[in-house]
Amino acid sequence: MNPFFFSLLCIVLGGPLALLFHNNSKFGKLLPVMAISGGSLGGLVTALQHFTAPQPPTAEFLWLDWFPLAFRLDPLSAFFLVPVFGIALLAAIYSFDYLDNPAKGLRTAANYFFFSLLIAAMGLVVCADNILALALAWELMSIASCFLVLYDYELKENRQAAYIFFIFTQAGAMFLFAAFGLLYAQTGSVSLAAAAGLSDGLKLTFFLLCFIGFGSKAGIFPLHIWLPHAHSAAPSHISAFMSGVMIKMGIYGIVRFYFLLNVESVVYGQIVLFAGIISGVLGIIYAAGQNHIKRMLAYSSIENIGIILIGMGMGMLGAAAGKKELAFWCFTGALLHVLNHAIFKSLLFMGAGSVIHGTGTAAIDRLGGLMKGMKFTGIAFLTGALSICALPPFNGFVSEFLIYSGAFSGSSFEGWDFILAALAIVSLAVIGGLALLCFTKAVGTVFLGEPRTVQAEKVHECGRCMRLSMTLLACFCLVIGLFPAIVVEPLAAVTGALLKTNDIPMGDLLAFCDNITLGAILFLGLTIVLMILRSWLYRGKQVDAAPTWGCGFTRATPRIQYTGTSFAAPALEFFGPVAPLREEYTGLDGPFPKPSSYQSKPQDLAEETATIGVALPIFRALKRLRWIQHGNIQLYIAYIVVAIILSILITFLV
Amino acid sequence: MQTVILIIISLLIIPVLAAFIKKVKALLTGKQGPPLLIKYYTLVKLFAKGSVYSTSTTFIFRFMPVVALAAPLMALLFLPLAGAPALLSFAGDAILIFYLLGLARFFTVCAALDTASPFEGMGASREAFFSVLSEATLFMVLVLFYRINGSLSFSSYFQGNNPINLWSAEGTLLLLVVAALFMVLLAENARVPVDDPATHLELTMIHEVMILDHSGPDLALIELGAWTKLYFYAAFIANIMTPIYPGKPWATALVFLLIIVFIYFAVGLVESITARSKMNLVPKFILTSFSFAFFATILTMELTR
Repeated sequence: MNPFFFSLLCIVLGGPLALLFHNNSKFGKLLPVMAISGGSLGGLVTALQHFTAPQPPTAEFLWLDWFPLAFRLDPLSAFFLVPVFGIALLAAIYSFDYLDNPAKGLRTAANYFFFSLLIAAMGLVVCADNILALALAWELMSIASCFLVLYDYELKENRQAAYIFFIFTQAGAMFLFAAFGLLYAQTGSVSLAAAAGLSDGLKLTFFLLCFIGFGSKAGIFPLHIWLPHAHSAAPSHISAFMSGVMIKMGIYGIVRFYFLLNVESVVYGQIVLFAGIISGVLGIIYAAGQNHIKRMLAYSSIENIGIILIGMGMGMLGAAAGKKELAFWCFTGALLHVLNHAIFKSLLFMGAGSVIHGTGTAAIDRLGGLMKGMKFTGIAFLTGALSICALPPFNGFVSEFLIYSGAFSGSSFEGWDFILAALAIVSLAVIGGLALLCFTKAVGTVFLGEPRTVQAEKVHECGRCMRLSMTLLACFCLVIGLFPAIVVEPLAAVTGALLKTNDIPMGDLLAFCDNITLGAILFLGLTIVLMILRSWLYRGKQVDAAPTWGCGFTRATPRIQYTGTSFAAPALEFFGPVAPLREEYTGLDGPFPKPSSYQSKPQDLAEETATIGVALPIFRALKRLRWIQHGNIQLYIAYIVVAIILSILITFLV
Repeated sequence: MQTVILIIISLLIIPVLAAFIKKVKALLTGKQGPPLLIKYYTLVKLFAKGSVYSTSTTFIFRFMPVVALAAPLMALLFLPLAGAPALLSFAGDAILIFYLLGLARFFTVCAALDTASPFEGMGASREAFFSVLSEATLFMVLVLFYRINGSLSFSSYFQGNNPINLWSAEGTLLLLVVAALFMVLLAENARVPVDDPATHLELTMIHEVMILDHSGPDLALIELGAWTKLYFYAAFIANIMTPIYPGKPWATALVFLLIIVFIYFAVGLVESITARSKMNLVPKFILTSFSFAFFATILTMELTR
């Protein structure tokens, strides 16, 4: 495992270098970017080598002479390392142009410091092989990411976002630690593999604790509350990395422990599938209502986590019912969606970052017409939008198609499992339709039409490094969409290792990939033929430019355009019971009405419930304990002394 | 061979059938109506013209007509006609086709927003929303088909041991499916009661308003795409309804074409006797089709036991 640790070391070195040279605006960024991208590249190569390694390399350390830490790089870890290092590499390159405010030198350096820690922590999370290593890496990841959210700490929302994020990561970690404690208490072993030795009833408890703990990181509804806050507050390359990769650590945990537990009950699949359906549908409904471009993308991450969980849930149902083939398709689809989502969501966040960088605003309804001033960003964002809507010939389609294929064979189940499978298929279709609504809204309002405000008129295209990252990601979207075999084939080996089976239906899988390639190439060919036909039809014709026809209305201004809010309004009204809209309208009164204002804000049911039902009661209860905190230092020392005496007494007496 | 001939025939009659609806509506209201070749004349007229492009628009606006025609044409390649296998087919092609139609919708909606016209925005918003519900119905129908037939491609739906056919043992369930699919056809192709293609007020349109700014050959391509899409849905339903006469492919083909004409007649009839619904009633209309499909699927749980 030495090459892997060496890569991590190289990445972590970037942090101190950044802090050392923070006064030099060029050098202070160049060194950490080089260190992070170099280390990531090395890590990426190492990960790719271990996809099919028969003997996973292991490493063990004794930390502080007491804590054994074990690491292991098996195919599943190697697969999850690919998005970690791949996106880290591109995010680092992107950040070189994105963090271009010389006045924030120290802050930028701190950002690189915590970014490199975050990457290394994630690398350790997916390789951890005992609960101590996992817990340590997990906490390091959480804390590093909390600091990254605080980049623009002057803004109150951002401090709030980091606070909410911190509470959620720590509460989630508590559930994980409870699960680990249970494991250690029952088996007396710190190794992850010991989970298989739990009794059946405890397995379910253990899995549920893990599901909540990992689920809060993955952003499963209703544990997603932190996600839109944190992702909109962080700098865009960090949002891209967090949304594309960090939340997948939750998915990794669920997959890892599901297979370690080695269970046969259908309950696990039903829980995961149900959570997936809820997260997927509600996530995209909430996304459609957002006006902040990064919040919208954050909610759409919840939706994509839902899709991944649907795939995994179906796979678990298939495995429990003994349908190996079904399980194979669904797990491959879910894992491929992990990779695909990392690619297109990073692309979209980077595109959003470029929009914010170029215009200074993230409000969708204040933008418009950017396709003219920022054509590159526009095309990159469009590619990401087409991919995330799972439209052929882009990569999102491949993974959803795999999940569909598996789920359809699941519709031959009977009873409740059939109802769940049918619901999964229909909700995938509805999610697809709503994603189309959500992303046509984003593309149409931000990039098309006329600029709605001055901010959207005076724009500048993003820098060369940002363009490089986005170009690469957009190419991946198209290449995977056109030739899925190049990723599906190695992925099949990972799924095969997970399901502990050797008879991988590789022939079926390659035929499946060929079919997608055939369909995509055919469609592209037809499109090109029609484009040639179209240009032939226009040969020598008169083509004029004129303003848009106003249907008889002659003095149109950009303000009469349909906004994103009004575009999504009919759908949101329909889904009103689950996504209520809070409206504030001052109204008009009297013969000479004053200027009026209207404000609408989609409410997140989970957030409302958590605030009213959990946070406020706790806050009220804790208020009564305020007297303990009086500010008198002598008394604080007295507390400490009393605590020490008490703990010594307890040790002696018990 | 038969499929190739049928596809050529289909391509030729698509504009005629589109005009046939107009004719039916005219005859039912006591008017003479346009000639059946009217759409051909329209195409010739449009192809001969140039275009005016709005200064607000970008390349998306010009690219959209191509996608809007390419996707339905692809659908036609994968659709079996009159019980004969389609030109192309593979496991799961049904999903590919419905997603390609989604791609066409993506560009149609974006091109509408590209013009900066509030009316086109309205149409785009409705199109995006209503199609969510239609897709739910379509995929529910696909689940039912999988349970009956065990496949996921258009060609194998109507072939093999257990073809999807109205005149088979599962015919009663398929009656519900035919009703559901007909409602989806009306919704997806902008027909009454979801959308009125003959209305004169932009505010009340869905599909027509999204293409207000397109002109000349671009408009012709879009219109062709829209007619092909309508034909695709009609032929899909007709495949379910056509009885198979073994050994007599041409008799089957003739009945198939007659059923298609009947479906177009039904569209015209519905348009003559009902008014367009208020926009807030449209979701209920489409959800009715979903409940038909869902009910039929639930029934299979009993039948296959």
